Amino acid sequence: MSRVLLNGNAAAAWGARLARVDYVPAFPITPQTGIIETLAAWFASGDAEGRMTTCESEHSMVTAAAAAAATGVRVFTATSSQGLLYAMEMVFAVPGWRAPFVLVNVSRALATPITLEPDHSDVLAARDSGFLQIHCASCQEVLDSVLLAYRLGEDPRVRLPVIVNQDGFHLSFTREPVDLPDAAAVDAFLPPFDAQQAGFRASRPVSQAVAVLGGSPYSYFRYQVHLAQNAALAAYDEIAADFAARFARQHPAVEAYRCDDAEIVYFLIGSLSARARLAADRLRASGLRVGVVRPRLLRPYPAAALRALLAGKRAVAVVDQNLSMGSGGILHGELGGALHGHADMPLLLSFVGGLGGREVSDGEFAAMAREAFAAARSGEVPEARLLYTAGELRELRKLQAVAGLAPGSPR
Amino acid sequence: MSEARYRSLRELPGVHALAAGTAMCAGCGGLEALHEVLDVLGTRTVVINAAGCMTLLASYPFTPFHGSWLYTSMASAPAGAQGVRDALDLLRSRGRIGADDDLTAVVLSGDGSAYGMGLSATSAAIERGLDFIYLCYDNEGYGNTGQQTSAATPHGARTPTSPGPAGHAGEKKDLFDVWVAHRPRYAATVIGAEPLDLARKVQRAASLAGPRLILALAPCPTGWDYDPMHGVDIGRLAVRTGIWPLKEYVDGAVVHTHVPHPRLPVEAYLSTQGRFRHLFEPLRNDALIGEIQQRVDRYWQNVG
Amino acid sequence: MYRIRFHGRGGQGIRTAASVLGSALFASGREVQDAPRYGAERRGAPMSAHVRAGRSVIVERGAIAQPDLVVVADPTLLAGGVLQGLSAQSVLFLNGSEPADELRTRLACPGRVVTWPGAARELEETTGVAIGALCAGGAARLLGVISRTTLEQALLAEIAGHGSGAAEAGRALGLAGFDALADSAGMVGEGVDDPGAGDAPPDWVRLALDDASLAAPDVFREATSELVQTGLWRTSRPVIDAALCSRCSWVCTTLCPDSAIHAKAGEVPQIDYEHCKGCLVCVLACPPHAIRALPERQPATAGNPR
Repeated sequence: MSRVLLNGNAAAAWGARLARVDYVPAFPITPQTGIIETLAAWFASGDAEGRMTTCESEHSMVTAAAAAAATGVRVFTATSSQGLLYAMEMVFAVPGWRAPFVLVNVSRALATPITLEPDHSDVLAARDSGFLQIHCASCQEVLDSVLLAYRLGEDPRVRLPVIVNQDGFHLSFTREPVDLPDAAAVDAFLPPFDAQQAGFRASRPVSQAVAVLGGSPYSYFRYQVHLAQNAALAAYDEIAADFAARFARQHPAVEAYRCDDAEIVYFLIGSLSARARLAADRLRASGLRVGVVRPRLLRPYPAAALRALLAGKRAVAVVDQNLSMGSGGILHGELGGALHGHADMPLLLSFVGGLGGREVSDGEFAAMAREAFAAARSGEVPEARLLYTAGELRELRKLQAVAGLAPGSPR
Repeated sequence: MSEARYRSLRELPGVHALAAGTAMCAGCGGLEALHEVLDVLGTRTVVINAAGCMTLLASYPFTPFHGSWLYTSMASAPAGAQGVRDALDLLRSRGRIGADDDLTAVVLSGDGSAYGMGLSATSAAIERGLDFIYLCYDNEGYGNTGQQTSAATPHGARTPTSPGPAGHAGEKKDLFDVWVAHRPRYAATVIGAEPLDLARKVQRAASLAGPRLILALAPCPTGWDYDPMHGVDIGRLAVRTGIWPLKEYVDGAVVHTHVPHPRLPVEAYLSTQGRFRHLFEPLRNDALIGEIQQRVDRYWQNVG
Repeated sequence: MYRIRFHGRGGQGIRTAASVLGSALFASGREVQDAPRYGAERRGAPMSAHVRAGRSVIVERGAIAQPDLVVVADPTLLAGGVLQGLSAQSVLFLNGSEPADELRTRLACPGRVVTWPGAARELEETTGVAIGALCAGGAARLLGVISRTTLEQALLAEIAGHGSGAAEAGRALGLAGFDALADSAGMVGEGVDDPGAGDAPPDWVRLALDDASLAAPDVFREATSELVQTGLWRTSRPVIDAALCSRCSWVCTTLCPDSAIHAKAGEVPQIDYEHCKGCLVCVLACPPHAIRALPERQPATAGNPR
């Protein structure tokens, strides 16, 4: 094992290399491109054995990925933002093939307006596709999660593709120390891909991904994907325990930080959780008992683990770096669904922030905790808050004036 | 648009239809071609953009256009042009706008979209006879993400996804011929470094109706790895070595508007750019240089 | 924890500078985090990068608001937000040769200022990606916790991918930068690990529904991009010599990619320095060689050629 400086993109590429992936269909998109460039360089130099095919679109890329997995090789691919959305028809189609592979998504906000900086609207649009989802908060987690994802997706109980998500810029372009596991240790953790029944061979004809007519067989196959996702919950815990035993790094399905005695908890995913941890530390220094809960596994949804962690807390500040238009933060809604009807559950406050790379400041984290304490005292949950300041609005009005518009003015 | 033809460089427009202040790289050959094209087309245009380097031409609240702009996606800009054109036709036929409010629909696309992801939508728009101009700035790679190999990358060029000692193994797709196979109203290749040839072709395209292609080779200092000041020289060398033939298709025939004579050896062009440096350093790769020369020679043997 | 911010332009090797310094600090036993930061702009446009280095695992992420050291790749960048967050304890290091005390007064900089000492003033003539190596070398010396050998190894490792010639040039320049600042070795101090929540409670507002015409990213004015001063990207300035100009009225203005040269028939063209990015296409394209390139040494200001 060695410890090196890697950014999230390089960590993802190392994960693929250590997993000895056979095949990488690729299409460049910011901020993911560093992953496929790194793999391309290794394939050219012979440092890794694999084949890359540059596709003309992400729709083709995901199709080629799943088709290769269904033919019996270990497949890796990566995308981001509009690319994930362009692939979306196939993202929803291929989990039903039951051919596992790993896709690293480097989260970036969605158009319109088009932008380059991160939020989670892209990956959460794939939430209901059947892909498993692992969300990372450090470059180490990116590498480790790629390895965990292959074990999980290829597990005989699961057999589904997996999205490993990391934040654009904050992880993808940020270098930090990463433990590179020994190749032999990874081989022991992750055996070669067992294609099981999949694979096109002249000697063993098979028709895959066949259509159905009628809701009954349709329902059966769709229910089976859902049940496989549920089975992945237990499988994940076992695999993460095995990983921890071999590599001494814990990656539980839900990470809890200073939660045991916490009254108030921040609830969020991804690298923004670092700021929540610092905020919790500072609030604790002033005597307020605050913790952080961060699901790593979002599909399958670890509802029971979340209920166990949050039972008895007074209030939860859910920080959503996404926005379901007309509803609100997606994490908030999902958590409400998981907690509702169970005894001793906290109040849930909804904050939407960090869209398109907007910073969520230390001061805002502190203010969210204050609002959560106030709600806990009064028993009244405030209206969901879209994080925006008066200063930001003043700046925006200036831009609108440049664009030829002012509030209330005719065009 | 008048039917007149620019006779000399002095007649080229001195007032620019595209404003300064964009986020494009210093020395961008695509931006040079775009402003030369718009200088001829004028401001009664709606530019329908496909994802690429020029996505960020208009970045709120800043736009370089005196005309109009719509950003669509990487795959579907010609369909965006279809919607705009159809709607303008409807508004005109119903008397809701006058002829003086009509616009020319111009798709603006890089090679990543034009040669690849957007080709299906383009083919369909040509087949439907859509009245539009399709301007492709071809910098021979996915320039906006760091010049990875696209369907327009030339044989032998080294890119981040073709990093081997021989560079890109594939061939540059011939988009001009792909268009010609559709029997469009007009198709032309141009380059910003030859502004009179470009202006005449844009002028001709503007005088016609139907699907029209302006395919501009776009020297790219960032992606091709050269000092931006050499952009015009490199563009001229692309023409004088015969690597970028200047030609047009109109009324069923392809005509070369410039036949380089004498044709310079391709290495005069290749040696100016970092993406071909491996052909010369540390050891000269005569086999690959010869192969590239041979392709160009074969092309011109079949001309005229 | 050390918090270091680099400011430069696309093409000046600033991303590499941060990774050289990051790798050297990591090899010196520190926990490290480094990252480039760029927006939509391209080659020539201002960008930044940061390095954090501490004794324990670094949790803090994102932009650095309170830097201990700010490194600036050339004097034309000394406008805008480069000086943001500097305190009396922090250090500003400029790749330039203006005497440090004069610069400090001119900028009203609250912290200490370092430039190349007289004996090493030729270093400021460095161009292109090599500037990154040079700045990394200088920064390493200012921190005082990186040995010359460790720096050399980091330079070679981080620049190796740019080709052997670039790696050798980078190594030499990085070490020259390190050696030149011997008198300032270790002058940058380490900031506290947790500076506390730097910002006041947020002045949150509840957004109201606006008219859809206001609430779509549409621009109803023409050519507003002219408000963007891309002239700030320039490190070299093209200047037309009226005595040599043939008043052809088309070559430079047509070939300028940025529509930044305007001409009227029979007159010497006018270069729009507010927007000229300094690509210098016009310098080579001008048939009578009437355009020269001069280095920029001050932040380029609007329409104000010196």
